[in-house]
Amino acid sequence: MEQTAKKAIRVACVGNPNCGKTTLFNALTGAKLKVANWPGVTVEKVEGQTSYEGIDITLVDTPGIYSLTCYTIEEKVTRRCVMDDDIDVVINIVDASSLERNLYLTLQLLELGKPVVLALNMMDIIRERGMEIDLHRLPEMLGNIPVVPVSATKRTGLSVLLHAVIHHYEEGAGEYILRYPEEIESKISQLEALMEKHYPTHSSVRWHAIKLLEDDEDVKEEHPIQVEHVVDRSYEKEIIQCKYAYIEKLVGECLFHREKKAAATDKIDRLLTHPVLGIPVFLLIMALVFFFTFTIGDALKGVFETGLDLFSGAVSRGLDFIHVSGWLKSLIVDGIIAGVGGILTFIPNIFILFLALALLEDSGYMARVAYVMDSVMGKVGLSGKAFLPMILGFGCTVPAIMATRALETEHDRRKTMMVTPFMSCSARLPIYVLFSGMFFGKYSSLAAFSMYVVGMAAAILSAMVINRMEKGRINDSLLIELPEYKRPNARTIRIYVWNKLKDYLTKAGTTIFIASIAIWFVLNFGPSGLVEDPAESFGAMVGKLLVPLLKPAGLGMWQIVVALISGISAKEVVVTSFAVLFGVSNANSAAGMAAIVSNVQAAYPGFGALNAYCLMLFCLLYVPCAATLATVRKESGSWKFTLKMMAFEILLAWCVATLVFQVGSLFL
Amino acid sequence: MTLYEAKKDGRYTIEGLSVEPSITRRLQALGLNDGTRIQVLNRKRKGALIIKVRGTRLALGRHISSHIEIQEESGEEA
Repeated sequence: MEQTAKKAIRVACVGNPNCGKTTLFNALTGAKLKVANWPGVTVEKVEGQTSYEGIDITLVDTPGIYSLTCYTIEEKVTRRCVMDDDIDVVINIVDASSLERNLYLTLQLLELGKPVVLALNMMDIIRERGMEIDLHRLPEMLGNIPVVPVSATKRTGLSVLLHAVIHHYEEGAGEYILRYPEEIESKISQLEALMEKHYPTHSSVRWHAIKLLEDDEDVKEEHPIQVEHVVDRSYEKEIIQCKYAYIEKLVGECLFHREKKAAATDKIDRLLTHPVLGIPVFLLIMALVFFFTFTIGDALKGVFETGLDLFSGAVSRGLDFIHVSGWLKSLIVDGIIAGVGGILTFIPNIFILFLALALLEDSGYMARVAYVMDSVMGKVGLSGKAFLPMILGFGCTVPAIMATRALETEHDRRKTMMVTPFMSCSARLPIYVLFSGMFFGKYSSLAAFSMYVVGMAAAILSAMVINRMEKGRINDSLLIELPEYKRPNARTIRIYVWNKLKDYLTKAGTTIFIASIAIWFVLNFGPSGLVEDPAESFGAMVGKLLVPLLKPAGLGMWQIVVALISGISAKEVVVTSFAVLFGVSNANSAAGMAAIVSNVQAAYPGFGALNAYCLMLFCLLYVPCAATLATVRKESGSWKFTLKMMAFEILLAWCVATLVFQVGSLFL
Repeated sequence: MTLYEAKKDGRYTIEGLSVEPSITRRLQALGLNDGTRIQVLNRKRKGALIIKVRGTRLALGRHISSHIEIQEESGEEA
């Protein structure tokens, strides 16, 4: 065959959710994709390269699936990918610690008729629990496919795995090991004959015949043939039960010393999923996350401040030394360094936040949150699973919106997309830190923390209002697997946090850099050219137009309008524009904050804590950043929905800020 | 009885599923078939519960659990 001559092959990594596909993919290709310990982290397929003994291997990482009959978007991605003719070999990653469930997908993959290599992951857990797997009997019972024990985290067994992939590719697929009862087998043969007649070149005839017998909608659509005379009803139940019966037999022969004592996970769950304490414990954990973010982050920021001050001073003197014209010096020092540098001083806070989120995600707690919050979410018409994207929203809204793909219905997805931006993302953190630091003194952490609570409440309440308007019901269809707790893995955490910091730095170097320059121009140029007083600039002209609208919310300053508008490019830019507006080189330092406060109060004498709080509220609730809007547009496929969302959010931001300002003014 | 009425720490055998076909299919793929043995690990008074089935833990909402017909297991271990 010409197969052996081929020097490049495509291999798909397929397996149940949370069995370690992405960890293995990272180990094999050197990629640094996000890994965490909850089902549904990977929602897109990703390709990577590796090679073994001179053969180029393209690996495709896929979202996890329990079965080839699937119903969420990410699962369809996987199914399509595996079925694709250009996939030469399938690596089926199996979590050895839950062999019985994982092998169900394996049996389906074997029916596809493609070469399958079984990567037996998490063997260390098996050994820890004193269990043993018979590695001779297991492959025998799976039609003599290669079974390779690997550890994706410890990176062992990888060469053996690649060797098996190449070797097995050259050998081709094994035999079908699972025989169904006579009645079903005869129907399968009839359907196979029909398939071969209509689609003579088809590669996985048996699989399609079985799927037709299961009455699979997608297969019927893709291969419309008359089968009613054979398929008098769906045989799906029998087929599934046959598979599981076979697995039970297999597990009985291959797996020894099945665990007797309750795993540590169950003990931890007694507290974390406690019927009464579950929610308070969750809130406490989140409170700790933000407490550390503010306190430790603030303690570390001094280092950055000193560095930035030195840098800014040096550049300023350097520019003087080479006699750069005044406006250019202003652009560089007051525009770029103030705008970008000011954002960089928040790195310690961002770092701690993502470290905490990484630990949360990698420990196995995430899926429990879905269970714990299910009753609250259910009342507003969403499943507890919809809370997972919302937690991701504390990091960044963009991946959070993408994570909604794991939700079952389009309706739930849209609703979750609508409310997820209310979860305070890391980009809003600098705004909170800055304004609470400037106006709330020793209560600053509390003021900042309250934004997270208000955001969560806004998300849940708006979901409730939407549910009322739709006359929706209680949603109580939660279905999620709860993984074992595990000690967070250092490499996983490092990759996670580094990726996020890199994103933040990239954003500082691109979006925020450009926004700083743009803001500087808008504030330094007016109809008559370069202006001395920013109040005569283009920025001020536009800002002043909208001031009357924001006045009731306590935000009637054209500078704030400029900051809010430019903040749509990225939320940090709100801070950037204050820095540029007042030429403060380091907004996050005590001196910088004092400079902004005195400037703000000079322009707007009454501006105090209440106004600052309203500004924070407005920034929390109003239009999400451009990147989020683009993602929502892409994921919902609808401009109408995206615009509706924007309108809703602006309106809510205005109403809440106005209400708080008006009521607050009565008392203060 | 249905799974929704099950007690914490109780062990049961599944007798039938009667949720909508898409969820039934999903549950079957997860290994919840007629005759499968399950153990209830934790539950809220009203609402979702956590079960152990085939060595894995699943959280199920009320809508699903109240459409799973079960029978209490008389014996000792599962």
